[in-house]
Amino acid sequence: MKTKVKKTLYSLTGKLILTIGAMMIVGSITFWYFLIYYQERELLKNSVKYSLSFVDYVKKSTRYGMLTFQQLLIQQTVEAIGSAEGIMRVRIFDSKGKVAYSSKKEEIGTILGKNDPLCRSCHSESVKPRDMQSWSIRRDPEGYRILNIVQPIYNEPACYTSYCHVHPKEQRVLGLVESDVSLSLLDKAMKRQKIAITAFVFGFICLISVVLCTILWNLVSTPVSILTQGMERVAAGELDYTVRIDTRDEMGELARAFNAMTADLSKAKKELIEWGNTLEKKVEEKTEAIRKAHEQLIHSEKLASLGRMAAGVAHEINSPLTGIVTFGHLLLKKFPEGSQEREDIEVIIEQANRCSSIIKGLLGFARATSAEKSSANINDILNSSLNMVRHKADFFNIKIVLNLDESLPSIRADASQIQQVFLNMIINAADAMDGKGTLTLSTRKVVENGNPFAEIEFNDTGHGVSEENIPKLFEPFFTTKPVGKGTGLGLAVSHGIIQDHGGKIFVKSTLGEGTSFFVRLPFYEEKA
Amino acid sequence: MSKGRIIVIDDEDIVLISCQRALAPEGYDVRIVKSGMDGLKMLESEAFDLVLTDLKMPDIDGIEVLRIVKGKWPSVEVIIITGYQTVETAVKAMKLGAFDYIEKPFTPEQILSVVKNAIAHRASE
Repeated sequence: MKTKVKKTLYSLTGKLILTIGAMMIVGSITFWYFLIYYQERELLKNSVKYSLSFVDYVKKSTRYGMLTFQQLLIQQTVEAIGSAEGIMRVRIFDSKGKVAYSSKKEEIGTILGKNDPLCRSCHSESVKPRDMQSWSIRRDPEGYRILNIVQPIYNEPACYTSYCHVHPKEQRVLGLVESDVSLSLLDKAMKRQKIAITAFVFGFICLISVVLCTILWNLVSTPVSILTQGMERVAAGELDYTVRIDTRDEMGELARAFNAMTADLSKAKKELIEWGNTLEKKVEEKTEAIRKAHEQLIHSEKLASLGRMAAGVAHEINSPLTGIVTFGHLLLKKFPEGSQEREDIEVIIEQANRCSSIIKGLLGFARATSAEKSSANINDILNSSLNMVRHKADFFNIKIVLNLDESLPSIRADASQIQQVFLNMIINAADAMDGKGTLTLSTRKVVENGNPFAEIEFNDTGHGVSEENIPKLFEPFFTTKPVGKGTGLGLAVSHGIIQDHGGKIFVKSTLGEGTSFFVRLPFYEEKA
Repeated sequence: MSKGRIIVIDDEDIVLISCQRALAPEGYDVRIVKSGMDGLKMLESEAFDLVLTDLKMPDIDGIEVLRIVKGKWPSVEVIIITGYQTVETAVKAMKLGAFDYIEKPFTPEQILSVVKNAIAHRASE
């Protein structure tokens, strides 16, 4: 509760209310003060004026009595006048300060010294006696003001020429008329008026305060809290939240600007998320590419080290094989045709020859890295490869279809190595079809990742390759051919050769329908 | 009377013995040595019609033997015995004056045939 009040006080609305309220109060109090002050002054001025007229009236009323020196008449007149409402006392002093006539008879004959408060105003030692009318104010026991008016009675020809000769001609002031006029009515009226005005001012302040609070609350506090709430919700991530302030003032403008900002923020966030998503995808793609490259590298390393090993093994094994084959043949001659021994020895020789062909495959594999490249025509190599095998018995029942792109530019390649690859593909196709079917050879131009390639497709109508075997096809020693027929090195060697040429080799196969081997070799720009 | 004097140079015993067993019964006078150096020494002391030499040997290789033999005794025929991986070298050897080359492993018939041709060729010149 305490903090809430503190918060309200420090808020913009609180400050505005306090400031404007304080100004209102100060203004009202000032207004109130000046109103009372001037009114009082004005009223007093009028009272003095009327009192002076009144004293003048006393003077004139008693003039005749004075001139004719009828003391009783004067006393009666003074008494009559003094009995009027609001007139507290009327006195006439002679020049010696003695009360000559008074509305209060008991005072007649008393002499007021110069030190009497009444006389001091004109007769103080420092001040030269003033022979002019004057007035002063004092308060009665009840606190109401009493206006004291003093007016000198000047000597005049009628006075000193009168028959009574009371006053010598030289005497300038003959006496004083003095009167006390009660201002109690005025004071009472003023008091009532003060209360009324104070009440009015207080009421006005209260009313203004209420109106001010209401207006400020509606104009400032409510929109500000709506905006604050909006900001909190947007900050919490609710980016489609909009604040609703439809006024045309600055608050409305602020709200519209805020909504525009939120919309922009939402849009930016969406873009960021989208970007993040594509980034993730791109990272995935790159990771996949790196993984593939890594696999490729491992594969290449594997093949390279296998090649080195194969070369070493081949060199070492060829010599003992020479011994086996030679001595096998020598032994063969010692047994008659058709004997069991002879058959056994033939098996030995046959298996030694098989070893030899495996070794040749291995060596071909090892050799794949040292190519001598020159300008070569793919279609020519394909045709010559085909000519080497088409007269073999295995191809008698195979229909060969050629779809060659004659406009294929030359590539830079080791023709004998490429021929080795093509032969391998053609013989594999024939094996896959068991010597019966259609072999379609196609050449074409393709573009991969913006680079031009010559593509050679070897399509057969054979039994196809199962999906799980496709990745293993290019592994060394993988074969699906019957034992003794394939070494499992042909495709591994081909893969190595094509890779060394900056190309690629891949397979598409449907089990039971056939297989397509694709070889892609890059075109190199002929250097002048 | 022998059909011809042949020296076989190879660092592998089994190849040497194989050659000897394939050729000697057919009437050739066959000498075998285990290194290029030994072969050249024997060639200095005795006359031969034909040299059969392996390509890869520890001290001096077959190409060097071929070059020396053809330099000193141009009429002596040289046949290169090679592993498959050195076919290019064998071709190079042919260009340097070798009569022929034979790949390991070979059958007695194959080596006999090559040797027969070489001897015949020498005789015809």
